[in-house]
Amino acid sequence: MNALVQKKAQVEQVQVSEDDQYLTFSLAGEMFGVGIMSIKEIIEYGSITSVPLMPGFVRGVINLRGRVVPVIDLQARFGRPSSPVEKRTCIVIVEVAGVEDALDIGVVVDAVSEVMAIPASDIEKAPSFGAKLRQDFLRGMGKVDGKFVILLDISQVLSVEELSGLVGHLDEVQAAD
Amino acid sequence: MSLDDAFQAFVIESSELLQDMEDHLLAFSSATSPEESINCIFRAAHTIKETAGLFGIHGVVGFTHVVESVLQRVREGSLPMTDALISLILECKDYISRQIGAIQDDVVIMDDGMIATEKGLFDQLCRYMKPGDDTSGVCCSIETEASAGAEESQPAGAQPAEKVRDAALGNPTIEAKDDAQMENENWHISVQFSEDVLRQGMDPAAFLRYLNTIGKIQHIVTHFERIPKADEMDPESCYIGYEINFKTEADKSTIEGVFEFVRDDCQLRIIPPHARASDFITAIQQVESAGHLKLGEILVQCGSLTSAELKRLLGLQKKLNEGGEKARLGELVVQDQSAHPEVVQAALHRQEQNKHTQVKTNQTLRVDAVKLDHLINLVGELVIAGAGIESGAKELGNSRLLEASLTMARLIEEVRDSSLRLRMVQIGETFNRFQRVVRDISKDLGKQIELEINGRETELDKSVIEKIGDPLTHLVRNAMDHGIEPPEVRRERGKSEIGMVGLNAYHESGSIVIEVSDDGGGLNQKRIFEKAVEKGLVAADAVLTPQQIYQMIFEAGFSTAATVSNISGRGVGMDVVRRNIESLRGSIEIDSEEGIGTKIKVRLPLTLAIIDGFMIGVDESCYVLPLDVVEQCRELSELEQAQCRKNNYINLDGAVLPLIRLRDFFEHHGPAPKRENIVVVKHGARKTGFVVDHLLGELQTVIKPMGPIFGRMRGISGSTILGSGDVALILDTASLVERAVVKESSVVTSRRLACP
Repeated sequence: MNALVQKKAQVEQVQVSEDDQYLTFSLAGEMFGVGIMSIKEIIEYGSITSVPLMPGFVRGVINLRGRVVPVIDLQARFGRPSSPVEKRTCIVIVEVAGVEDALDIGVVVDAVSEVMAIPASDIEKAPSFGAKLRQDFLRGMGKVDGKFVILLDISQVLSVEELSGLVGHLDEVQAAD
Repeated sequence: MSLDDAFQAFVIESSELLQDMEDHLLAFSSATSPEESINCIFRAAHTIKETAGLFGIHGVVGFTHVVESVLQRVREGSLPMTDALISLILECKDYISRQIGAIQDDVVIMDDGMIATEKGLFDQLCRYMKPGDDTSGVCCSIETEASAGAEESQPAGAQPAEKVRDAALGNPTIEAKDDAQMENENWHISVQFSEDVLRQGMDPAAFLRYLNTIGKIQHIVTHFERIPKADEMDPESCYIGYEINFKTEADKSTIEGVFEFVRDDCQLRIIPPHARASDFITAIQQVESAGHLKLGEILVQCGSLTSAELKRLLGLQKKLNEGGEKARLGELVVQDQSAHPEVVQAALHRQEQNKHTQVKTNQTLRVDAVKLDHLINLVGELVIAGAGIESGAKELGNSRLLEASLTMARLIEEVRDSSLRLRMVQIGETFNRFQRVVRDISKDLGKQIELEINGRETELDKSVIEKIGDPLTHLVRNAMDHGIEPPEVRRERGKSEIGMVGLNAYHESGSIVIEVSDDGGGLNQKRIFEKAVEKGLVAADAVLTPQQIYQMIFEAGFSTAATVSNISGRGVGMDVVRRNIESLRGSIEIDSEEGIGTKIKVRLPLTLAIIDGFMIGVDESCYVLPLDVVEQCRELSELEQAQCRKNNYINLDGAVLPLIRLRDFFEHHGPAPKRENIVVVKHGARKTGFVVDHLLGELQTVIKPMGPIFGRMRGISGSTILGSGDVALILDTASLVERAVVKESSVVTSRRLACP
């Protein structure tokens, strides 16, 4: 009985702090974090079908249990050179709000490290410059063991509206070239 | 069925009835039997009123009642169905549908606009009512209702309407002739007892006493004629009979029941009162599913004939038939005076009517679209899984497994085809809606325009039909506003004053073509071109084909209309049309001749779910082309290969074939194979060659949507999952070709601009 109560308390604790939990991963040596609530799963990198005539940040599409899911290269999205595919490279499936309903998008990361709790008190406002990232992509800087983790606002990074706009725009530009 | 479900059913049924009403109204002028049309319209209004009454939705009942009253006058022939009246009833129909849409908790929530509309419509309707008819009463009730919300008692005009309703339910020609005949208000019972009745312990007088318990004997005549002379008479025998005029509320079988004990020992004939004939007719109308019932059964069910009578008459019929006479039960019933001729006729009519509806109901089955979509999705998964098994079997090389997988593949294909066919809907219904559009708009425009519809029975996927409505409406509106000239101009040009707008649909090489045509002024190439230059869409010195010029009208904000009407001319719309059509993997072609007319061809895929594809390989990637656009494929000869590296065209059977090298076009940088292949794709009249690395053969593919991120991408229409689990992209050849054309022409223009 006692154990049960304890377990329940634990569960509650987890639930309460879920908002403060982040999946951290590395991209070209830098640590990034994304709120755990929007992470669906992490899969091995492999068999991506590339889509021609696409902007660079669209790595391609994968078959996720019968559904076709786009895969975004975060590095390219940040305007940086893509990292080479290595053994620890994987695809994180993220759920973002689409035009009509939620939508799964895969993002390529160099390596997934861990899920960590970063309480709001340990999160600093993002610097107005220096991170070399668009301001609206950032949710803040998390402090963990004296190091910084860049916490991403994934709904901005993977904004469906913006991505589709870029795809459409490139389409027109290429056609006009 | 809960009340909510029932209400949903009411909403669906009403919308169908209203649609029916509209169809009949629009087709009224050309209807072969206007009486039948007006009956249908009346019935629709009536059914809505009745059902709304069941739910206590007084707003709908009150308004529909007035409409019904006016329609009743038309049915009676005391009011002609003029064009103006048709328009008014159409508006009323729209209003009723608005009312139903605005129902919340059994009350029609009316906003000010609706109250005003109702008032306006009502005033107009009043004009068609008989003077001194129930208008004033209803008028009051409507007004109080509009102001007080929903509280309303039975409309004052209900009394006459009740009678109307009885007649409305059936064929109006079958009506009780003389409800008012007073002497016939009572039943007539004629009974002749057999001689043995007394011996069996029955007392004829007892029956009379008993009859008085269920009604009142108004008059009685005793038959003495059979009583023999005193010396021959047997006092133990009964020789008498009665003719009884009997007043009762009881039905025929109850009366017959009185005589049950002597049923075999007497001749009994019960003639229903004339006044009841209309009741029987009403009862007959209410007999459910009479189609499979025999005439006799219908009559028994409505109480006009008792089962005993039926049995006797059937026996008689059999006897007569055996004797070589052809006797119909209905005739016998009438001869026997068991039932009124009108009643029998009504029953016959009902039987006929139900046979018709029975055929109809057998033909269709209402299925929830969600269930159907789920089925189609599952079939889609099945196709993919099947392909996986097939490729696995091939790898293993097990011949038995391979054979089994082939059998399964064939079955899956059949399952796929038939489940897709479930979603196929005839386009006719969509087309018919345009009758109204054309009618309304031509009125607004002050033009006389007729709509000609062909190819109604052409089928296409429901999902396509749902999305095609808006673009088609736009095209039709445009044709009417910009295409058809005003009557004066038409007269000058020697055309009939009545303009024609045509809708046509047909299948062509795996896709469906929907044509919107008009016999108007046609497109003015010069004006379009000038406008395009003015808008900066093309260079002033560009040389464009007529087709390219016509395509300009689909550019955003493009309009050559001098004036902007509320129908079209704002320049928004045509670009939306094009986008909508393209999102359906369709394309638009325009044929136009100045002064003669314009024809817009919309080409659409039959279904959005599955296509037969042709797989090609470029570098490491696989792509799928829709099979129905592939005309031929072969290896490129070395000569051709050399030629096509220099210029992007080759000579195919004596004609120039422009080429698109997918390897370059898609920027694949892997090493090219020694030999390349070509796939010739036909789109409309245009042929294009796609140069690819490998030809990988046919396959069935389930189209998987690419998601909103790729929503604005052109050139790739979707994706599919191969048996191996890899994703292959489905190419939209038409937009690829278009893209190539734009690319090349922009290169040419920029070169020209660079060195003027």
